[in-house]
Amino acid sequence: MSGKIDRRTTLAWVTAAAAGPWMQDAMAQNAMAPDAAQPGTWPNMELPPITARGYGSDPNLVDPTVPWPLTLSPAQRAMLKTIAGMMLPADGHSPSAASLAIDAFIDEWVSAPYPQQQADRALILPGLAWLDAECKARFGHDFAAAGEEERRAVFDDIAWRGREKQGYQTPARFFARLRGLMMAGFYSLPEGMKDIGYIGNAPSTEWPGPPQQALAHLDAGLLKLGLRPVR
Amino acid sequence: MPSDKAAPHKAANDFEPDAIVVGSGAAGGMAAWVLARAGIKVLVLEAGRDYDPVKENAMLKWNYQAPLRAGSTPDKHFGFYDATADGGWEIAGEPYTNAPGSVFKWWRSRMLGGRTNHWGRHVPRFGPYDFKSHSRDGLGMDWPISYDDMAPWYDRTEKIVGVSGANSGLENHPDSSPGVLQPPTPPRINELAIKAGANALGIPCVPSRYAVLTRDIPDDDVPRQACFYASPCGRGCAIGAAFQSTTSFLPLALATGKTRILTDAMVSRVVMGADGKAAGVEYFDRHTGAAHAIKARAVVLAASACETARLLLNSKDGGLANSSGQVGRNLVDTTGTNVSGHIPALENRPRYNEDGKDVAHLYIPWWLYKEQAAGKLDFPRGYHYEIGGRFHAPGAGSPAVGLEDGYGARLKEDARRYYGAQISLTVRGEMIPNADSYCELDPRVKDRFGLPVLRFHWKFSDHEYRQIAHGIATARAIIEKLGGTVLTPQLPPEEAIAVGGWIIHEVGTTRMGTSADNSVTDQYGRTWDVDNLVIADGGVFTSNAHKNPTLTIMALAWRSLDHLAARMRKGEV
Repeated sequence: MSGKIDRRTTLAWVTAAAAGPWMQDAMAQNAMAPDAAQPGTWPNMELPPITARGYGSDPNLVDPTVPWPLTLSPAQRAMLKTIAGMMLPADGHSPSAASLAIDAFIDEWVSAPYPQQQADRALILPGLAWLDAECKARFGHDFAAAGEEERRAVFDDIAWRGREKQGYQTPARFFARLRGLMMAGFYSLPEGMKDIGYIGNAPSTEWPGPPQQALAHLDAGLLKLGLRPVR
Repeated sequence: MPSDKAAPHKAANDFEPDAIVVGSGAAGGMAAWVLARAGIKVLVLEAGRDYDPVKENAMLKWNYQAPLRAGSTPDKHFGFYDATADGGWEIAGEPYTNAPGSVFKWWRSRMLGGRTNHWGRHVPRFGPYDFKSHSRDGLGMDWPISYDDMAPWYDRTEKIVGVSGANSGLENHPDSSPGVLQPPTPPRINELAIKAGANALGIPCVPSRYAVLTRDIPDDDVPRQACFYASPCGRGCAIGAAFQSTTSFLPLALATGKTRILTDAMVSRVVMGADGKAAGVEYFDRHTGAAHAIKARAVVLAASACETARLLLNSKDGGLANSSGQVGRNLVDTTGTNVSGHIPALENRPRYNEDGKDVAHLYIPWWLYKEQAAGKLDFPRGYHYEIGGRFHAPGAGSPAVGLEDGYGARLKEDARRYYGAQISLTVRGEMIPNADSYCELDPRVKDRFGLPVLRFHWKFSDHEYRQIAHGIATARAIIEKLGGTVLTPQLPPEEAIAVGGWIIHEVGTTRMGTSADNSVTDQYGRTWDVDNLVIADGGVFTSNAHKNPTLTIMALAWRSLDHLAARMRKGEV
């Protein structure tokens, strides 16, 4: 690398800048980074802090509301929707996460004024910018314009535990965190609960304990381990 | 409780109480009820707001209906729907401080019923050894009472509180008398797996005891219903199945016609009379900031161990009832850490409604008393495991708890495979009082009322670190016995142990003892220095067995207040 800023780098910045005005600061910083916009390079974003108020220590529990404004751009929301559809596609058990407003849940999460959510914001927003820059660097167009195969090629470099492409550890961390959040958002919905088989929160006068089938499954597992079944 | 959040409080001048109870939680609620049913007029002063557990709780709401899927935030540490109102590790305008090098966290609830609206409800009894631990190992101090003194009070407390569970017959884990316990609930699959693994290692795993009803408790005024096997207990229980002061002691006390409750009343000091007896208290109205004074023949402090110590220290230069110098000293919490594991044998297990009583149905009590007595262990006091693992209602975490991989169809398979295939073993151990763990008034910092706040000093000793190391190693052995993988990172005990206060079992700051030289109160919670001043909360604990303290707080409070009521009836107070 010569240290000069090439056209590919500039294009990556321009794309990433579409994610928000804070990228202007990041661009200034990235100008100092010799390897900027090489595939895999993590954008150095400075995010303005969320200043909205939380729900406080005594919120109305019976009629819950989200008091903070959502902050993601339409482009970021569209990216999240696309990712959600690839992350948790429709199958015989449940619909696609893209059809269940998971992008809105992620927006609610990263816009919340709490430390964990702000830490996630500082990973996920640069992560979205990275996906755009990465697609631009590899395919010449951003994530939205990328085809299914191109997106999968990028995902496959960061999505699998222990198989991250060399130098892609931070993007892999972004992907893992986004995956965890999308799973939380998805499986807590009625469609997701039905998929994994949560069938509680149903008042009843008796609780009979595990059915025979569940006990038989346990006992078979214990016997394989050389353990004596118990009651 | 009538809900009347906005109305300013009158100064209660139209009610002349015989006794004042400071606090409305486990101890304060019990104290009010015991005094009121003895015909004594009681005024309960609660620093927090009024709270209606029927109208205000969100028992059957779904996690997706709450912000952030109802997950933990600094505003609501135990999740959005947790019953704690106006409480937490920090309360605006009411700080506390840590001395340099100390880390102590103090959980408070500013609401009617205090911390009983959210608590674990795990109620093992202390046993004979637990009241005489100094006699066994030479550490700490013996209680001035024995288990035999307490046994009848445990029985009657368990009856009024409502405890479901079973007797185990195990050493130092006393049985309840026949007819006291309500029936236990059958174990869940993962609990049976833990039991199989533990038993294979010679470790017992027995039915737990929780303050959750499995049978109705009929009452003309305050009926309580059996658990309907849905909704986390931490949200509070509108049907009265999961015990809390606001659905039992407080309405029972009110039903006597002898009790008045004043909320938003922050007691600032105990007022002394010229005769050396407590004459009453002063409090601030939380809304107006106005100070009020109320007189009574007896004052009962049940504000929680640390708040009661603070109140004594703020009542007089050098501390009221502090001729022993023990107020604020001997502060202990329960030791804690958690080990969780993934069990392949539990993958893809058949689904069923696994909510049950919400709490754990089985429990691993401390089992190595003989080895400890024989000097075979390198730590003197025991611990227990609270066990977990089931088909939880999905919320702000992945149902595959971090085991998920990749994306797409495979990821959805992962979610189904790993959901409900984890177990957890939560260590809860006894901490021994030490000279470096105590609270005192901060010389500079004051709260919104202008009252000096507490400054905490904290240090664990090797007793606690070695105990935690043993608890971690044994939990890992159980997980490995089940063919599982430990998910919790392996840390040295100094890092794995929960910080002081984190388990919310802080007690000992006004301990009871045999004389005014070694303690703040006698065996009835009566302060040695002030005859009509009784301490009813966990401050009076002489030592803190690994067994969760609230049952013992309530049983002791009953015993102490029964004693006070008898003295008041005889005109001794």
